[in-house]
Amino acid sequence: MDRRHFLYNTLLGAGPVALRAAESPLALRSPHHGPKAKACIFLTMLGGVSQMDTFDPKPGLDRFDNTVMDWSKERATDQVSLFAKPRLILKSPWTFKKYGQCGMDVSELFPHLATCVDDMAFVRSVQAENGNHPAAVFLMNTGTVVPGSPSVGAWCTYGLGTPNQNLPGFVVLPDFRALPFSGSQQWGPGYLPASYQGTMMQWRGEPVRDLKPPAGVDAAAQRTELDLLRDWNSGHAAGHFTNPELQGRIDAYELAYRMQMEVPGTLDIDREPDAVREMYGLNREVTESFGRRCLMARRLVEKGVRFVQLYTPSQSWDSHSEILTRHKNNADEVDQPIAALIKDLKQRGLLDSTLIVWMGEFGRTPDNLADQRDKAGRDHNTRAMTIFFVGGGTRGGSLVGRTDDLGFKAVENIYRIRDVHATILHLMGLNDMRLTYYHAGRNRRLTDLGGVVMKEILA
Amino acid sequence: MVLRVLCLLTAALAFADPFTGKLAPVFTKHCISCHGGKQPAGGLSLASLDKLIEGGKHGHAIVPGDSKSSLLLKYLSGEAQPRMPLGADALPPAVIAEINEAINSLPRQTQAATSKKDPWLYTPPAAPPIPAVSRPDWVRNPVDAFILARLDAKSMTPAPPASRRALLRRVYFDLIGLPPSPGQVAAFEADPSPAAFEKVIDALLADKRYGERWARHWLDLARFAETDGFAIDGERPTAWRYRDYVIRSFQQDKPYDLFVKEQLAGDEIDDKRAGDQAERLVAMGFLRMATWEADANFKTQLRQDFLNEITGAASQVFLGLTAGCARCHDHKYDPIPTRDFYRLQAFFAATRVDERAAPFLPVEDPAAMRRMMRNHEDESDAADAALKEIEKPLRDKHKQAGKSGDFVGALRDKKNTLFTAAEREQWETARNHQRRISEGTGRYRPVAYSVSDIVPPHVPSLPDTYILKGGELSARGEKVEPGFLECVTGKADPAVIPFAGGSAGRRRALAEWIASPANPLTARVMVNRIWQHHFGEGIVRTPSDFGRNGERPTHPELLDWLAREFTAKGWSIKAMHKLMLMSNTYQQSAAHPQWKSYANLDPDNRLLWRMNWQRLESEVLRDTLLSLGGQLESAGGGPGAFFAVGQDVADGFEFFKWFPSSHAEQNRRTIYMFQRRSVMMPMMEVFDGTNMSESCSRRNTTTVAPQAFTLLNGHLTTSAARHFASRITEAAGSDRARQTRLAFELALQRPPSDDEARRAHTVPLERLAVVLFNLNEFIYLE
Repeated sequence: MDRRHFLYNTLLGAGPVALRAAESPLALRSPHHGPKAKACIFLTMLGGVSQMDTFDPKPGLDRFDNTVMDWSKERATDQVSLFAKPRLILKSPWTFKKYGQCGMDVSELFPHLATCVDDMAFVRSVQAENGNHPAAVFLMNTGTVVPGSPSVGAWCTYGLGTPNQNLPGFVVLPDFRALPFSGSQQWGPGYLPASYQGTMMQWRGEPVRDLKPPAGVDAAAQRTELDLLRDWNSGHAAGHFTNPELQGRIDAYELAYRMQMEVPGTLDIDREPDAVREMYGLNREVTESFGRRCLMARRLVEKGVRFVQLYTPSQSWDSHSEILTRHKNNADEVDQPIAALIKDLKQRGLLDSTLIVWMGEFGRTPDNLADQRDKAGRDHNTRAMTIFFVGGGTRGGSLVGRTDDLGFKAVENIYRIRDVHATILHLMGLNDMRLTYYHAGRNRRLTDLGGVVMKEILA
Repeated sequence: MVLRVLCLLTAALAFADPFTGKLAPVFTKHCISCHGGKQPAGGLSLASLDKLIEGGKHGHAIVPGDSKSSLLLKYLSGEAQPRMPLGADALPPAVIAEINEAINSLPRQTQAATSKKDPWLYTPPAAPPIPAVSRPDWVRNPVDAFILARLDAKSMTPAPPASRRALLRRVYFDLIGLPPSPGQVAAFEADPSPAAFEKVIDALLADKRYGERWARHWLDLARFAETDGFAIDGERPTAWRYRDYVIRSFQQDKPYDLFVKEQLAGDEIDDKRAGDQAERLVAMGFLRMATWEADANFKTQLRQDFLNEITGAASQVFLGLTAGCARCHDHKYDPIPTRDFYRLQAFFAATRVDERAAPFLPVEDPAAMRRMMRNHEDESDAADAALKEIEKPLRDKHKQAGKSGDFVGALRDKKNTLFTAAEREQWETARNHQRRISEGTGRYRPVAYSVSDIVPPHVPSLPDTYILKGGELSARGEKVEPGFLECVTGKADPAVIPFAGGSAGRRRALAEWIASPANPLTARVMVNRIWQHHFGEGIVRTPSDFGRNGERPTHPELLDWLAREFTAKGWSIKAMHKLMLMSNTYQQSAAHPQWKSYANLDPDNRLLWRMNWQRLESEVLRDTLLSLGGQLESAGGGPGAFFAVGQDVADGFEFFKWFPSSHAEQNRRTIYMFQRRSVMMPMMEVFDGTNMSESCSRRNTTTVAPQAFTLLNGHLTTSAARHFASRITEAAGSDRARQTRLAFELALQRPPSDDEARRAHTVPLERLAVVLFNLNEFIYLE
């Protein structure tokens, strides 16, 4: 029994999430309540998206363009040096229109997503607690601003296990042009056992590290090796009864073999019909990276993967200057693929059971440095950001939250990151207060002292 | 403190108590069948109000006067799960309301007083009598007597001795983290005398590889890494000196009290045994090892985070207490009020992060360091010049094209047709070379990554420390003076601060209090850590949490006896190793003829009726593969080596580039690999390596499929197997039977059975090696 037993022991009494020693750590576990979503695809917009240029139109910005915003009541700013110099309000370079039956406002940056608004649920009033990228990215992923805690994907996998034992429960699809700060710590297990960490996959080349045998060893030869390994391990285990982990490792090699069989097929997106590949934008350089990964996400979710997280390149949305080109490029890269993902899931009847989350680590300011008017941008803003959910038990076409006339601060239905987490867990069938893991002297939670579920956007 | 608690409890008992009066029938009917008797469920007994207040595993069932905080009601209402009574209908609302009222009618108690003091923990270890046992012949030293006495009480017997081979494998991996050679196994098997084992232990403890193995345990606790973490993840160029300091300290068997003092107050202590000033400054790297947000916007918050972290880390690592929990609120389980957290923090009030001049010690080879630094500086000039030369025509070209903007950006932009691919590559190579050299220079500077105090006259006075309500900087409460934990000292007085020259002397006061035989925690916590690594589990199985929420000791008297022995032997860690390893308890087999019935009686082997199984940690696994391939480089110390990573990872980060070291460098022991927080070795990542961000007192041992990929198909295994196979072919010739035999003897320290030998031939020798490296028998120690 030893360590593993001990580990599980400390979990007993944690409610339905408790594990038993004989179980695989990834075995299916009952949720706290009947979930709508069985899987989650988290689309991470690194760098911070501007709310007033995307989904939160602010005519006030046109009215006050080129005037000075009043920062005097802000006790602290997130980027002290930027606020020491003169600043001017900047109107959005993009126009907004209303779309869908719900009449949702979308800027011209997202022509494809604009056609999906009746399936999307917007929250315009999310606040982050830290305006510095690395800390804010940790907060968005793990609920704390410092490294070392499990991410929301690891928590979901820990809480629910995963339906397909031939694939990892939590898959991460970063953009290798620029990995997120702190790399794998963003999807590491933190203080949870290693089984719950995200498995990184690549959209080019071999998807999983060391999945294939080295050169000169074909599949049949590897099977011979695995047979030898299984037989010798079984013989050894038969002579040593006191260690149940021995059987666990025998099973793990069989799982590895099944993964070797299953992963390549699952991720073979080249076999998708041309129409689907084109819908995701695989035929265009600008959309290929995010498009391939969106398509991989769909296929993984179809096969029962619990949580898939996509990242844009690190800092990609961070447009302190030249927001015109930067936001445009970023939107171009993700707009068509995300719209394709929504439509594809819907068409396959998977949208009700798949939750899509779209967010960055914080929003952006209505104003910018006065000496940058020729290449204006927007700075970090923790006081408001817009995020959206699709499917998985959210109400399409719904909208909650309001910002002030400049889009500077959330003023109604204010939600924090922990509330986003509580909502994700809720939709996945988990209660954030009951999903605990005992570590360093206390029961830890993703939401620490608890978050508020965003009831307004639930179906 | 004791008096206060007693008074309050008496007061509570004297109070007309509805729980043992009016409400007693309710509990008797619904609860007592589980929550009563000698071993109540969850540790919670409902036998008396006293017991309800004391609570169980999850905390106090009742907080007098505060029904909202009382777990009893949470469980009865279903707010906490599982709802109570378990498997039966909920109690009628009227009854719950009555209990609610009864709790609120109790007089409120103040602060930490509701936590009943844990007497064993906060009182110095007693001198327990060595128990009399059924089989005195089994007792090789008092360790065995304490273990056997508990087994006797349950009419159990210890396991038979382990086989000579299993024992030798166990002690080699335990002490030096590498396997014995076939020759060493044969010699040990041929000599069954007890003296043979003692000789092995002495030799291994004297081996420099012992320090490399055991330092790793401490570096886990010290959350050691060589970069800051966060976005920039900036390098700490001389953090390696702290790693080497820890290795040396274990090699030299530095008395543990001194080891503690050097790390907390190396610049302030006055101890004849202490090393050079430089050594002591390097030791204080312990206080710098946490993550650090170099570009944080709020410097005051950054400083507060630093203070919080070292206060928490020091109490966890040295005292086994999770005092960090008391940062925002009084500790929910241990008698540590918020006030005590900040009194403890006040010892660091004058402490600032600092890179201090610290000449290289003779053991660090100052001449070589100087030479390396000069080389780097010279090469750096050359590399700068070379880069400039390559850049000049390119810059001109850029200028002539009428482009004023970003030259480097244009060069890196592959779509920009101004530059040819060859030009781009040439520039990239020169620039990488220049970056690599300039980054390396700092690693050879005689600097300690350390701390220092700022004291008058450089500042008007030492900074004051305030209680921060909810841990918020903006919520300053009462001012506090440095003081020791009241739950240990029983006193709330400020600590007496010694004079310490140009330093505040506060850290010295703290260090001397911690590293004192009179401190009831320090020795117990450390002997427990040593025990944990030898036996796979501590006597307290939560080694950094001795508090109420941690596990109780399985053998409290043994723990106390060991703690006293530790201080009596001058805090010698090696003396503790020898004591534990020479015991029959350690030399037991992992199997037991009675295992079936014993596994029912004691499934977690808390009584140590057999040896625990242990899995090789990720570092040991990697080192062993390298050593079997004959690739392991023995060079110790100095700046870390950069292991090979995929090109995508090497180029994937904004603020640094990853330059792998030479093959020879990469083949050094894992402890000498550069530890960048954002880039983990694949082997560490899948085999439960420490995450380097928080103090890690115990590695997980999870089993996941990616481990199989790494160990079957990964580069490390493949290359080790290739080297292993050629090493075998060289020694055993081309005869396959001899090759197989040698492969088994090297990897598993035993010859193959006939059947194994036959089947081994179905795969090529190189792949046989891979199969052997993946066997449970290879990766687990009995």
